[in-house]
Amino acid sequence: MRARILSILAYTGAGFTLLVAACVPFVLMGVFSNEVAHAGLHIDAVYTGGAVARTIQRNGYRIVVYQPVQPRMLERIEPFVQIVFEPADALPAQVNDEIDLDGDGRPDVRVSFSVPADADAKMRGDVTALNGKCVSLANVSDQSFSRMVVRSGNKIVVRVPVR
Amino acid sequence: MASDTSTLRSSTLQRPAAFRSVGRSILLTLPIALWALLMFTPSLRNAGRDEHIGALVVIVFMTGLFFLMMRTGETYRWRRIFFVALGFLFPVGFIAALLAERGSMSIPISRMVSGDTPFCFMVTPSIILPAAFAKTIIFPGSIVSSGSHPHSIAPMIGIWLAMTLVLGKAWCSYACFFGGIEEGFAAFAKRPRLHRLVVRYGPVLRLIPWAILVFVVLVSAAIFEPVYCMWLCPFKAVTEFPAVRNVETAIQMGIFVALFVGLVVVLPLLTMKRTQCGFFCPFGAFQSIFNKINLFEIRFDRAKCVDCTLCQTSCPTVALSKESIAEGKTLLNCMKCGACVDACKKDAAVWHLKGTAVAVKPERARLLFLYGAWAMATMFGGSILANSVATMMHWLPGK
Repeated sequence: MRARILSILAYTGAGFTLLVAACVPFVLMGVFSNEVAHAGLHIDAVYTGGAVARTIQRNGYRIVVYQPVQPRMLERIEPFVQIVFEPADALPAQVNDEIDLDGDGRPDVRVSFSVPADADAKMRGDVTALNGKCVSLANVSDQSFSRMVVRSGNKIVVRVPVR
Repeated sequence: MASDTSTLRSSTLQRPAAFRSVGRSILLTLPIALWALLMFTPSLRNAGRDEHIGALVVIVFMTGLFFLMMRTGETYRWRRIFFVALGFLFPVGFIAALLAERGSMSIPISRMVSGDTPFCFMVTPSIILPAAFAKTIIFPGSIVSSGSHPHSIAPMIGIWLAMTLVLGKAWCSYACFFGGIEEGFAAFAKRPRLHRLVVRYGPVLRLIPWAILVFVVLVSAAIFEPVYCMWLCPFKAVTEFPAVRNVETAIQMGIFVALFVGLVVVLPLLTMKRTQCGFFCPFGAFQSIFNKINLFEIRFDRAKCVDCTLCQTSCPTVALSKESIAEGKTLLNCMKCGACVDACKKDAAVWHLKGTAVAVKPERARLLFLYGAWAMATMFGGSILANSVATMMHWLPGK
């Protein structure tokens, strides 16, 4: 009797598995994707640059200053601040901006770089620390997630290590 | 042992050519043919000629292979044709897409910060702990798809989860496009040259993926970095890899190439085993856990078994031991490829539905498993194959 019940359950389960298979492309993939998408997850700040702290308007373009990103646990990165210049196609050929990173009204870094006409060209730039809060970078390109001046789509992403 | 393998090959070839009649085989194949049509025709409404040809080729290919499974009663041989095709054609479509989009297989840091890295299921174990405890995905991709991020995290995890419900560990033999590459190299060899080594050290070697899984999960959570993806994935060599920009990324690239050449090309050629899958892959170990909740398995009818070890010799991932065969079971890492069932001359190795008596209606269990597995293979692997065929059509002269 037990064997018979088990057998019925097994075939019911097998039938259910086939039903699940039939539902995968039409229902289940979408359901699971939505669950993951709405699970409150976010991409690590090392890749996204973290949360936006403030936006500074310039003539024809804007500078988005992010909150400092600190390493977690044994994360192998220097703490950094991301600064985004956008839209890249509205930037002057030579950018030379003094930026207040912490919102105290005084500039903390001077960022300078040339905007190449070719969007795929490798970028280089300089970051000069105006006080002890940041680290100066000379001729930086894409050294690491904490030290970079790169073009990403229609933005120029600058990352400066902070102390 | 080499003669064992020769016996295995001949035993596979000597199986009766007509396990079922043509008519009955066609009838049993009809659901898969309809499924294949259903999977590919709606997406072709606005597609070009090459996409139509790609889809048609895949519909015929997948339906034809399933028909041969039904007709001959063999699973492994026909599944392997699909799987090797998937393994070798996936990089074609993928690399072509990368070259068209960014002109290189390397992914620059600027693409990583914009979330453009395609998400790969292999990274799943690495991201679990940070996602669970810090709600953070430690991967430079995007959570939801958009125009610039077509291969994002949520859809890929959605596909993997849904298919895993159906396949369990069989993901590794019906869906994993990476496994097909080494299965292809393993199939090239005439006889295994390191077979004794595999037999002697198999019990230890098959524990390595579990060790790597634990290492990858814990270290990734500790350093907030997808360790497997950044340091240990052999398949970076044939997909995409972080652009070499300093000594660290150069070392990473060296590791990817060395692991690919060693584990995916040379060792499969020497052992006729899927050495990366059996002795290295942490995702495979992770996927083994889902065998516990999957209803289908391979069992051994002890009344028929003569302990010839042909099944053990034939297993591509060393998922059988003498002890497990004596208990009538496979090990947890069995990926249900069907090699042992096809190799067994005494019909002792059988497909089995958990909860039913062993070896009572094994063909029914095989059919129930194969319908689900082949439907998933057609949907997932088939779409990759169709894309790759269409890509190759674009390259034809005169295009």
